[in-house]
Amino acid sequence: MIQRKLVQSHLTVLKYFLYICVLWSGPQLLAQKAVRYDLFVRDTLVNFAGKDIKAYAVNGQIPMPELHFIEGDTAEIYVHNELKTETSIHWHGLILPNEQDGVPYLTTAPIKAGTTHLYKFPLVQNGTYWYHSHTKLQEQSGMYGAFIIHKKEEQKIPEYTMVLSDWTNMKPFEVHRRLHNANDWSAIKKAKVQKGAVQSYVDAIADQSLKVKLKNEWKRMLAMDVSDVYYDQFLTNGKKEDQATQFKAGDKVRLRIINGSSSTYFWLKYAGGKMNVVASDGMDVEPVAVDRMIIAVAEIYDVIVTIPADSTAFEFLATSEDRIRSTSLWLGTGIKQLATPLQPLKYFEGMKMMNGMMKMNGNLDDMGMNMSLQQMDMNVVMYPEITGNKETKKQAGHNPTNQENQYNSNALSDIVTLNYAMLRSPVKTTLPKAPIKELRFELTGNMTRYVWSINNKTVSETDKILIKKGENVRIVIYNNSMMRHPMHLHGHFFRIINGQGDYSPLKNVLDIMPMETDTIEFAATESGDWFFHCHILYHMMSGMGRIFSYENSPPNPELPNPKKALKMLYRDDKEFHFMIDNDFASNGNDGEMLLQNTRWKLQTEWRLGYNDMHGYEVESHFGRYIGKMQWLFPYVGFDWRYRKMGRDEVEKNLFGQIDTKDKRSVICIGIQYTLPMLIVADVRLDSDSKLRFQLMREDIPLTKRLRMTLMGNSDLEYMAGLKYIVTKKISLSTHYDSDMGFGAGITLMY
Amino acid sequence: MKTFKQLMVAISSVAIITSANAQIKNSKTVTVNINGNCDMCKKAIETAAFVKKVAAIDWNKDTHLATLTYDSTKTTKEDVLKRVALAGYDNETFLAPDAAYANLSGCCQYDRKRKIMTNASGETGTVKSQTGAQEKATVNQFKTVFDAYFELKEALVKTDFKTATLKARDLSAALTKIDMMKLEPSQHEVWMKVYKDLIAQTDAMVKAKDIEIQRSHFSIVSDNLYELAKVVKPEATIYYQHCPMYQDGKGANWLSVEKTIKNPYYGSQMLSCGKTIETIK
Repeated sequence: MIQRKLVQSHLTVLKYFLYICVLWSGPQLLAQKAVRYDLFVRDTLVNFAGKDIKAYAVNGQIPMPELHFIEGDTAEIYVHNELKTETSIHWHGLILPNEQDGVPYLTTAPIKAGTTHLYKFPLVQNGTYWYHSHTKLQEQSGMYGAFIIHKKEEQKIPEYTMVLSDWTNMKPFEVHRRLHNANDWSAIKKAKVQKGAVQSYVDAIADQSLKVKLKNEWKRMLAMDVSDVYYDQFLTNGKKEDQATQFKAGDKVRLRIINGSSSTYFWLKYAGGKMNVVASDGMDVEPVAVDRMIIAVAEIYDVIVTIPADSTAFEFLATSEDRIRSTSLWLGTGIKQLATPLQPLKYFEGMKMMNGMMKMNGNLDDMGMNMSLQQMDMNVVMYPEITGNKETKKQAGHNPTNQENQYNSNALSDIVTLNYAMLRSPVKTTLPKAPIKELRFELTGNMTRYVWSINNKTVSETDKILIKKGENVRIVIYNNSMMRHPMHLHGHFFRIINGQGDYSPLKNVLDIMPMETDTIEFAATESGDWFFHCHILYHMMSGMGRIFSYENSPPNPELPNPKKALKMLYRDDKEFHFMIDNDFASNGNDGEMLLQNTRWKLQTEWRLGYNDMHGYEVESHFGRYIGKMQWLFPYVGFDWRYRKMGRDEVEKNLFGQIDTKDKRSVICIGIQYTLPMLIVADVRLDSDSKLRFQLMREDIPLTKRLRMTLMGNSDLEYMAGLKYIVTKKISLSTHYDSDMGFGAGITLMY
Repeated sequence: MKTFKQLMVAISSVAIITSANAQIKNSKTVTVNINGNCDMCKKAIETAAFVKKVAAIDWNKDTHLATLTYDSTKTTKEDVLKRVALAGYDNETFLAPDAAYANLSGCCQYDRKRKIMTNASGETGTVKSQTGAQEKATVNQFKTVFDAYFELKEALVKTDFKTATLKARDLSAALTKIDMMKLEPSQHEVWMKVYKDLIAQTDAMVKAKDIEIQRSHFSIVSDNLYELAKVVKPEATIYYQHCPMYQDGKGANWLSVEKTIKNPYYGSQMLSCGKTIETIK
């Protein structure tokens, strides 16, 4: 599928071929030897979903090559950056010296364009791991691959690696920018596949859930969803469907499942029976048989499945959490035995659930249920296979015995769903006796402005967390945001305190659902700086993370200027996002430009008529969002306008002041506050001591593509508009404006 | 006049057929094999395959062959056949998920041609009864089940989590050994109704993390076994007993071989809470 832009020189091909030969010539021989791989990172064009899109290929392939080692080997990996930009490789889940961890500007120097970097580290563990770029959004464009360390003496059973990923035809930069501008194009695209995904007012009425929708907006929430991004395709080993034909009836096959996607959780199911979970994040667990399981972003599970019959291929089905699409691995050959697909989410049931949980101040209320370890999935209310279809539910009057079981899918049905409480380590994992440093992290966020943080602070807004070598670090994490987060710790394994006592499982990714509280702990045994962050790429880039820093660490030779390096790292979540739109209407031009980051926003609006009677105006604000929910926005700005009026005409505003809306050139201060129903109230005072009070609600979702905007203010100006979204950049619009009258036109937006 | 009418019908039906095909551009036509029984199947198969202007299928219930016409630039034969299989119909490329097949109405449940999956040990249907003493065999078949159940109940009465887990495992094993080919029709009917739930709930008891969870499953196991006990006619008398307090007053039942109440839901806390509500002889 990859069109190689550059043909590798014969020499490098030969070189690479030789390493592979050496590797395959006999793993036994090579144990405890240096194992070398060469990775050539190049620009490429791929077509995964109907369009040629720029991406990154390593050694000409997506995903990156599957690397195999044996515990005790020393990995020697040469990364040749043949891009025009810098890159990096992070070895996910590996215990290694700090400067080998591959986080650019934090642990390792970025690999500059045209240079080669050698990563060299001993492998002190075994299991399934992966590697990926830690630079900007490169991971989304193909830079992920499997990293497998075999045990020295491994039980010989057939195995297969399944690298899952998500693919969008949109540039990752665009995806990120649009997320920060509360753009609902993703939902519109989803609604093409799944009705009701936009959760518009018409959808609500059709679902007889108008009250639910109104309450939802009253509580200042936008349409709810389980994932933020629309993906055109999901991939198994870089294919829509992959097939492993080498297996026969009775074979027990170890599947090494790696979720290398940037922001997609997958539900896993197998058409040939139960899945036996035997390892998570590389670490063995006591085998546990399940019917289905969710794999978080960046999480890894090893499962053993049985091939029940010959001349049949059994589907191993991975469905995205939003259930828009799926990808499959077929095990065996012959007629294809399908797995039962997951039915669409019941969005309004989910919305109802969120309404119940959301307090007016934006905090979540778990209603006294102590939620943890994925055991109670509030989303079950949206899963038809657990809680029934809308019709059957009404008939049967499904009556859960108590409130807690209302969300416990294992209590609600015969389907066994994996959760963290079921994971048990085969060996004791107790930490050495040492002083404990306890931390409390509250995961915070705000979907409207796409701000993601810990304790309402981003990475760049906080200092590193200092820890001492030899102490134990315990973190109590509470998720007070509306999304689930896969929290990943670099360079360490943590225990999840899950009721298994001394045998608590070891992991390096913790999926934590909204309202859950989980406790993890690890022994501080390393040195240097280690990243702890949400592994949803766009959350990480928005600043959802912390840096653990060992006190008195030796200087890192990779970073000669640590202060400057840290500044570079902080730039990621300080980034400003740009947005502009303009309505080319029959009565004038109407537009807005935004430049905003986590806290600051510069906003300019204009209304330019085609003649003096319609007038011209430009109004700009610059301000800072306050508070966790960011409902409060004080600003300073200026306002310039001119409109030619009839002779002797004088207008007054609501407060009896002579209105200057026809000739004004002022600076102003003001405050915006988001009211229930997402109405923005705006009070401002200008340098002519004129007061203005304004109410505005933008983008009311009437139907899938139709949006309404309403505005009125104390200058007796008012506006009502309708917008029909045609493509992600073009809308048809019509509005009535008190100054410019009725108009219709085309809105272009970037 | 009559001939004219017939002619018109003929012409219009030809027109309809041509227009139906004409709607699909870049059309490709292939013959495919799809399992099914009746006219209801025909409707379901054709509905599942149909996408306006993209794919249409005409299925013959006698030959099980279908003419599939599709726009080869927009879809593939596999995509269409996958939809058909997801609707419950095995075909030449895909086997339907078991749940989809089970959802078909009775007359549509065609004989599935694929091999019956063997269980893990690969020993299905090795034991075939030859004696005429079917009744006896059946009672014996269920004897192990009830024996295991009563031992499980005793463990719960003693609030002994470990033993209860072991006994639940025994019960689960006994249940999976039931050979339903040897059951009487009345028993078969009840068995088919309860066995899935019964096995699932018993397995849940095996995996449960504490005794309270086991007890909540035990109440469902008991209800199902009660249904069975009524048709099996056990060798010894069985008492069907009731505790009104369990699960905040919803109550729960159990089976016992002795008339004295020994409450498995609360153990020693409330050992004698409950009463016998039915005696099965």
